[in-house]
Amino acid sequence: MKNTDRYKNELLTTWEETYKKGQLTLWIFLALKDGPKYVNEIRDFIEEYSEGTISCEEQSLYRALRKFNHLKIVGFSSGKGNKGPDRKYYELTGIGIEILASFITRNIKLFFNKKLIELMNLK
Amino acid sequence: MKFITKNLIVYAVLLFVYSVVFRYALSAVLNAEKFNFAYVAGIVYGILIFITAWNLGKAHSLRKFVFDAGLGFNLTTYIIWGLVSELWFILGFNSRYETIKAVHYTLIIWGVFVIIHFIIYWRLKSRTIRGVLKSEIFD
Repeated sequence: MKNTDRYKNELLTTWEETYKKGQLTLWIFLALKDGPKYVNEIRDFIEEYSEGTISCEEQSLYRALRKFNHLKIVGFSSGKGNKGPDRKYYELTGIGIEILASFITRNIKLFFNKKLIELMNLK
Repeated sequence: MKFITKNLIVYAVLLFVYSVVFRYALSAVLNAEKFNFAYVAGIVYGILIFITAWNLGKAHSLRKFVFDAGLGFNLTTYIIWGLVSELWFILGFNSRYETIKAVHYTLIIWGVFVIIHFIIYWRLKSRTIRGVLKSEIFD
């Protein structure tokens, strides 16, 4: 690899690392908007729809979910697991649904602006 | 934010037991005029409080993400220690070398620090939502 390519790749990777750090919450909320899920299902959803660009460890997910549960953003109910003990099925609460909708309106929808779509060469 | 938690109650009960044992040991060694042992009792008592508060406080904040800057534990220690010490004198269990003034002076000086701690807690509280630091909610 040429030095320039290596340099560009290093910059891009650093940018992506910073960018992805703040994205886990959005991905968790989107997974739960899709329907109640237990931790492994949330992780699978994120990996599938982020096309493998976002990977998350189970412990990080549990920690985030416990925190969101404490803040009443996420609730859970117990459901049957495969052979093993009952699983916790997490879901967004009313507050969770509302803040996700507001977040999308204020931060995501603006990227669907015609001019921005052209600039991102998505057409 | 829920201020009185299960861990804080466990701590209060343990501290009450430690304090009664400490006061008993202190009065006993002073009555026996073995003054050097009074330091040992004080040091053991202090270490026990520190280890208990550290473990119960840490486990609680990790599990519940609650940030109270240790105020609950400081205030509980202040109240329980003060209560046990005052009762010790009221019930006449103290040795002739102990004075109630020492307890009162300690409570006054410690009280100033509790007030300072409360002011710090109040200022930090604005940086939290339901006891969780805002900077850590969506990190």
